[in-house]
Amino acid sequence: MSRFPAFLLGILVAIATALPVFAQSVVQTDNVRTELLADVSTVKPGEPFWVGLRQTIRPKWHTYWKNPGESGLPTEITWTLPPGAKADPIVWPTPILFEVGGIINYGFKDESTLLVRITPPADFSGPLRLEAAANWLVCEDVCIPEEGKFELTLPSGTAATPAPPAIRTLFEQARRSVPTESPWPARYGIAKSGDPTLVIDAKGLKADTIGNVYFFPAEWGPVATMAKQNAMVDANGIHIPLKRGDAKTALPPLLAGTLVLTEKTADGTVKQAFDVSAKLDPAFVPSSVSLAGAVGSEELSLVQALLFALLGGLILNLMPCVFPVLAMKAAAFARLAGHDRTEMRRDGLAYTAGVLVSFAAMAAIVLSIRAVAGEVSWGFQFQSPIFSLLIAYLFFVVGLNLSGVFDVGNRLAGIGQGLVARGGTTGAFFTGVLAVIVATPCTAPFMAAALGFALSQPAPATVAVLLAMGLGLALPYLALSMTPALQRLMPRPGLWMDRLRQFLAFPMYASAVWMIWVLTQQTGADGVLYALGGMILIAFAIWLLRFGSTASAGTWLRRGLAAVAVLLAFGVTLKLEDRPATAASASGNATGGVNFDGWERFSRARMAEAVAAGKPVFVDFTAAWCITCLVNERVALETPASRKAFEQAGVVKLKGDWTNRDPEITGVLKELGRAGVPLYLFWVPGAEKPKILPQILTESLILSELSSIEQTKR
Amino acid sequence: MSNLVVPRRTLMLGTAAAALVPAAAFAATGPDVGKPAPAFTAVDSNGKSWSLADLKGKVVVLETTNHDCPYVRKHYNAKNMQTQQREAAGKGVVWLTVASSATGEQGFVTAQQANDLTKSRDAAPAAVLLDPKSQVARAYGATVTPHMYIIDANGVLVYKGGIDSIPSSDVADIPKAKQYVRIGMEEVLAGKPVTDSSTRPYGCTLKYPRTST
Repeated sequence: MSRFPAFLLGILVAIATALPVFAQSVVQTDNVRTELLADVSTVKPGEPFWVGLRQTIRPKWHTYWKNPGESGLPTEITWTLPPGAKADPIVWPTPILFEVGGIINYGFKDESTLLVRITPPADFSGPLRLEAAANWLVCEDVCIPEEGKFELTLPSGTAATPAPPAIRTLFEQARRSVPTESPWPARYGIAKSGDPTLVIDAKGLKADTIGNVYFFPAEWGPVATMAKQNAMVDANGIHIPLKRGDAKTALPPLLAGTLVLTEKTADGTVKQAFDVSAKLDPAFVPSSVSLAGAVGSEELSLVQALLFALLGGLILNLMPCVFPVLAMKAAAFARLAGHDRTEMRRDGLAYTAGVLVSFAAMAAIVLSIRAVAGEVSWGFQFQSPIFSLLIAYLFFVVGLNLSGVFDVGNRLAGIGQGLVARGGTTGAFFTGVLAVIVATPCTAPFMAAALGFALSQPAPATVAVLLAMGLGLALPYLALSMTPALQRLMPRPGLWMDRLRQFLAFPMYASAVWMIWVLTQQTGADGVLYALGGMILIAFAIWLLRFGSTASAGTWLRRGLAAVAVLLAFGVTLKLEDRPATAASASGNATGGVNFDGWERFSRARMAEAVAAGKPVFVDFTAAWCITCLVNERVALETPASRKAFEQAGVVKLKGDWTNRDPEITGVLKELGRAGVPLYLFWVPGAEKPKILPQILTESLILSELSSIEQTKR
Repeated sequence: MSNLVVPRRTLMLGTAAAALVPAAAFAATGPDVGKPAPAFTAVDSNGKSWSLADLKGKVVVLETTNHDCPYVRKHYNAKNMQTQQREAAGKGVVWLTVASSATGEQGFVTAQQANDLTKSRDAAPAAVLLDPKSQVARAYGATVTPHMYIIDANGVLVYKGGIDSIPSSDVADIPKAKQYVRIGMEEVLAGKPVTDSSTRPYGCTLKYPRTST
């Protein structure tokens, strides 16, 4: 318990003595400097005024709010006032949440001013003497109870005069940090489990501008302060499912507390605090939509996760988004067939290295983002239109190469395809890199659980799981290149190789078209213009560079022009960044990318409501860039038979569109230990928890799930 | 070529989540009263092993402690804790003081220090359990010192909360306060349900191991 450095104390004393003596009283304890201030210099009998107990707390130490949380004690003030004078209860500033060794506390750091309204007696003359005995608990790791006695003598007069400007400024600051009355009505309901859910009926809020929502309950007991709060914001307001606290008495008719949130405005993020007093709404019985422990959500061990990752990576080879690259690899392999074994082996190893290095790079990126932000999702890069555009370019260029528009010999430095198309070890390495880049929008079976695990684990486990996945992806080709027996099964090289190569350009073009379509979902119709324009520029650059490479002035001119064209194509990305990424999906109604025909837009509140109403609920989390999702919809969810069955069973169908960033959906995925889409939830009526359906759906699976509820009904 | 563009919003939300929901490393709340008390086994300051399972048939009181915590000192300086420990012993109640501060933290004691403290404070618990990894505290969701628990003869948790009803560090408040633990013990021994079975615990934050968060 070292004291404040002496010089600091000196400064504080200097400041204290610089202020007018009549309006304050200062107590310096080991960890806090406390002074009692009044917002008036002269008191008028009978006219209320404000005093403030201003505490400057030692750095890293904190004092406590009226509800201190799981430990600690609130600051108390006991007044000794002249007869007839009255002191109101403390008006508390907005608290902050802090955590010591896993224990949650509410309080103040650095500085706080506790405001108290004093009403002097109407019939008095002479100076008004206020005496206060205050005690507070101040803690860092250890806790020290401290106390002080304060005295303030204020002259009285026929009119009150305000305090000097410096003090008035302090009061203004103090008032600003007090929560304001909530502009919206609030109510709360109690779930069957006994847990309360707070609802702020704030219509028209934009979910993506509101963040950091937290409810500080005003007192110990009704609400567990230790429990996580996963607030949900949608156009109807804010839902905060809370956990019942330890008090054994019934929940109070009014649940009071302070609601804190941040709002993104044009000028930056603004923190808001509101005093909330929520009436118990007996008609509102929140269903305990605790997603935790949903049937089918896997709790994995590291070994299982590694195994799943390997399997997932293996299956990834067969997923639609990796197909073009697989095709390229097949072409490369065919080219190599007939070469000697060492070269084949080297090629296989280089490809594997490319895949693993990319996964390692991804792991590094994931870890660094997590270090900064604490949250990552699989496929998240596809939520960026810039990434979609670059991938579209890449597919296009690789397609051109396969079509034979330009050849391996032409070195197009700086363009990835040049490296990929290059023969030998380097080429194989970069094919591996390419395979990983295009694999990200796909989640294969087994992968989801492994990825969810990987992203939530400590660094070594994250790296291990991602590498296992990479190994799985590279394994078929690695095995092929290492096993002469398998190689012998390959057909002999010949003209078919060129044909195959040219044919494989078409899946690449198709993939490019798909990426452009994804882009339009993110940016609107203009995306087509930019993407196709960029592609023409790239094609133009390639055409320019195809002329012979004689070192003439003309060559240099062509090269310069080509460079400009490529730069322009990439410059388009700057244009894209200006757009609000969620414009399309946040607008509320159906957007082109994800088909909402027959589906309602997912929100947690809607899900909770439908579940509470005892209806079967099916939730489809999808994204325009997720091919697996689209395939599932086509073959399993939107077939005539499935549609009819959904309708007959009276299922509420909710669709969550994750094409663009959506904090609510990201939150749900995270809660279920998933890192990406697709994800399918099915609530049987009356079930406490949803069932998670497999990532690959079939019509028969959907029909059998739906018939199971038909049977339980009977 | 791996242009992994980080969505800005994800970053922002991530920070928000990190700021507002610190990873509480243990159960959000401790066990509920009326439910079986969590099992534990711990070694006391004399090297003897205590297991809740072996105490079936007896009423057990748990008291988390940190001798340097002002709230613990309040009840020891006023002899409130020692008196209740003696009352408990007299009625056949097993009173276990649990030193749950993690190694190196305030309140951590070696076996020798624990015995010295018992002697110097004239304390009379059945034993002082050494819990340097805070495992017993964690099992019970203890958040403060002193955090008090009563377990009935059937191993059911019948009380959790504060030692008394006035959360302060002022010794003068003890006579004015409702002594929840004493009343609870009497009710349990009389075969009655505990009236105030879950009260607000108060005191210093329990010093869990730092790596736990």
